[in-house]
Amino acid sequence: MEMKRENHKGKALNLLRSRVCDPKFAFKALYNSPESNYSKLKFMISSSVTEACNNSILLLGPRGSGKISVLELVIRDLLDEYPDSISVIRLSGLLHGDDISAFKEIARQLCMEHQLLFSKSASFDDNSQFMVAMLKECGLAHKTVIFVLDEFDLFAQGKQRLLYSLLDAMQSVTSQAVVVGISCRLDADQLLEKRVRSRFSHRKLLFMPPSMEDSQSLLVHMLTIPVDSSFPRDYAIEFNRKVQNIVEDKRFKETFSNYLNFDSSVKHLLKFLFCAISHMDLKTGFLSLENFKTAFSSINRQPKLECLRNSSILELYILVCMKRLEVKEKSFCNFNSVMKEYKSIHDSFQTSDYYDRNVCLRAFEHLINRELICFADNRGHSLSVEYRPVKLLISSAELNQGLRAYHSCPAILQKLMDREG
Amino acid sequence: MDKEEEAPQIPRRTRRSSTSSWASTSNDVSSVKVNSLEPQTINDLLVGGEPVSLDDLLSNFPGRNSQIREIVHLLGPLNTPMLPLFVYGGASTGKTSIILQLFRHLNRPLVYSSCRTCYNPRILFESILNQLHLHRRSAANGYSNAKRCERPSDFVNFLREALTNAINNLKEKSEKLMSSKTMRGGIGNMIYLVFDNFQLVREWDKSSTILPLLFNLYDMLKMPEVGLIFISNSSPDTFYSNMGYVEPIPVYFPDYVEADIRKILLRNQANPKLYSSFLDVSLRPFFRITRQINELSTAFKPLYEKYCEPLSDKSIVPNEDMKRRLFSHIMLHVSSSLNEIFKVSSLPLSKVESSKETTQKGTPRKLEHCEEVAKLDFHMSTSAKYLLISAFLASRNPATLDASLFDSKGGSDNRKRKRKPSEKVPEKKESLEEELLMKGPGSFPLERLLAIFQCIVSVADDPSDEEEQNGFGLGVEGACGDLMSDVLLQLSSLCNAKFIFKGRSCPIEGSTRYRSSISEDLALKVARSLKFPLSSYLYKRT
Repeated sequence: MEMKRENHKGKALNLLRSRVCDPKFAFKALYNSPESNYSKLKFMISSSVTEACNNSILLLGPRGSGKISVLELVIRDLLDEYPDSISVIRLSGLLHGDDISAFKEIARQLCMEHQLLFSKSASFDDNSQFMVAMLKECGLAHKTVIFVLDEFDLFAQGKQRLLYSLLDAMQSVTSQAVVVGISCRLDADQLLEKRVRSRFSHRKLLFMPPSMEDSQSLLVHMLTIPVDSSFPRDYAIEFNRKVQNIVEDKRFKETFSNYLNFDSSVKHLLKFLFCAISHMDLKTGFLSLENFKTAFSSINRQPKLECLRNSSILELYILVCMKRLEVKEKSFCNFNSVMKEYKSIHDSFQTSDYYDRNVCLRAFEHLINRELICFADNRGHSLSVEYRPVKLLISSAELNQGLRAYHSCPAILQKLMDREG
Repeated sequence: MDKEEEAPQIPRRTRRSSTSSWASTSNDVSSVKVNSLEPQTINDLLVGGEPVSLDDLLSNFPGRNSQIREIVHLLGPLNTPMLPLFVYGGASTGKTSIILQLFRHLNRPLVYSSCRTCYNPRILFESILNQLHLHRRSAANGYSNAKRCERPSDFVNFLREALTNAINNLKEKSEKLMSSKTMRGGIGNMIYLVFDNFQLVREWDKSSTILPLLFNLYDMLKMPEVGLIFISNSSPDTFYSNMGYVEPIPVYFPDYVEADIRKILLRNQANPKLYSSFLDVSLRPFFRITRQINELSTAFKPLYEKYCEPLSDKSIVPNEDMKRRLFSHIMLHVSSSLNEIFKVSSLPLSKVESSKETTQKGTPRKLEHCEEVAKLDFHMSTSAKYLLISAFLASRNPATLDASLFDSKGGSDNRKRKRKPSEKVPEKKESLEEELLMKGPGSFPLERLLAIFQCIVSVADDPSDEEEQNGFGLGVEGACGDLMSDVLLQLSSLCNAKFIFKGRSCPIEGSTRYRSSISEDLALKVARSLKFPLSSYLYKRT
């Protein structure tokens, strides 16, 4: 009996994790109204499938706002509806940004889709002719080819030969294709050449991050487990009640809005949920407010301050010296000038932390590894570290804050920083 | 027009689409068996070794309790999907070892590849695919890779295929386990890809496309059975990319605090009580300089020996009185070794000790001291030494001074040489010295180096012929042509050893410029081993 209960808790955790890791679940919930992008997109594509016409659409919006997921949902539905008259070619600008590999990939996917033999060694010309021919054939067979171009802006680099030949092939009456470009650059259509732009129908769908209320209802939807035979009834009810309680808690609302102020996209929200769910206590089997707080603090990090907290006292000295040099508007700063400043601080304040040059040099290298400072140029590879110009990657406000938070920071350092103002 | 037409000509390079997954699985298994003598199984993706319990793991990594628990939570129970993780923290904070040990504990398959050993995209791709294909490079297969893949597009296709196969393999296996009901839990259906030293990818040639590719890999694959873990030295905010990506979930490993370091250092000590009293004295001052455990432990090793010196019995448990005695004994050494903390010495400790007094001061040592001062701890031919010195001089001294330092007679006129530099106005010299400190060693053309080289060699050979007698002779006087070819060879080996940097060719003069990168200390050491009066040739020191 006890064993079985544990099982349910694990199952609940597993269910929630799979939901979070599958963005389609979230977007399906988010876009079920008739006014949503989902319905609009579905209408556009399905009408070009049924009316056998060509179409091109751009889906624009910030990263993590569900452009791909919504498109995938639409495609999945359409494939259910018209299983024999759609084939989908998926390209990504990251992978197929150059024309050669793009055409190759198109040929490969077309071959796969239609059970043809794909030749790896086919030339660029072969592949592009093959594509045009296949488009014609598909048009004759009343089959719509949907081209999904992820990271659309990357296809617009270079000569745009892929876009041109694709859109040009679509000008002919026989072909029947839909090009869906996906980009997080809102000016993606401005990147197109004139000859490409004139062939592109300027349908655009804008994806916006959900409002706070929508996010919250999405969160509830994601975290609610079904009250049916899959879980013991009382457990499921109790679980959902606890989730509801958490969401209504004032402290939670504060954390949640803090989190979403930073970035309100759905993917960002999913990340938060994932962390919170992962920290769920399997002994009790319920989510708690504490889980969300842990998630918030573990995702919202301040890397620069963390780096400062990790630095040794000597490294802090070097940072303060560099900051002083920066304030003095020395245009040029390298290890030797830092050492001069370090020595002058030591001479005027008689600090207890005065170390050998070699030791300081190593501490200096640590700072470079921590990326609190970096070399100002990439040129001086022939110079050794001491002579290469460096710059600080941390603002004085951060340094001040870091020094104050540092556990055993020497008082002299804070004094020096305060004096600089 | 159609693909099928050209296909028969090259049947070996064509590939039929793998629509049904079971078919490709069986293909894969058979090909593995043909390829390697002892076929690898999916179990080879496990970390291996004796299983460890979580408690052991936690006690093995003091101070990493919360990080281990956090990762365990994020990885989740068996067969649960996971969003990509980004594990970051400074050097020697236990990132890699904890991840690997954790997978040993969890007993789940992982594909580990370090971006340090896989130093370009192609090697990284092929290493991942080799592991997934259970392919071992051996003499039998001519050390070939499972797949040849250079382009990211091929990689993603191959990866998807290989992952599908491997996951199907795993699923079959776990179904068998379910039916046979063995006691130990299965290894699950998930495969985890671990990218270690991920920060190095930023310096790759194609980092602007590879970084977003790897960060977006999870979204691109759309396979819930794949977990991605990135391990990096630097924080996520240093991975700038002009196209952006959905950031992975950060897991932070902070540097160890003092108490943790204490615990770590105390592990595996023969006499923990004694060592602990040693740490009471020495840890705090060292901790002000560095917080990296690897550096601290190397620094403490000789110091602890020093600490134990007055004791006859090292297994003794120290009392208060003894602690005080030991404290006063060690105190001197602590302060001096603080400045030695990063020095790696190849000499026995006692010798370093004797030389320390002289090396403490920044001023150059007088020539009289030279006998007892530590010698060069590596071998170098005499001509290379002279070459190094001439390179050092050429970098140090302004070119305009060469004529006065080394006149046509080979610089034998000591009086003239010594007087010239001292005539300079002091302020001007100071500013020059400042410039030298800021700009670093100057660069010089090859001709100047060779001229100086010839001058100093002739000077050194004039007073005594000791070198020749020892068999280290250069034969300068004899054959000049011989020397030249030899010198050029030496120069290139010095360049390879990074004693001399070879710069790009100067656009105006068209010749390559060189720059010496050795410190003054090293130059003096080299000069001393040749009994060459280097300091009298240095412009700034009179």
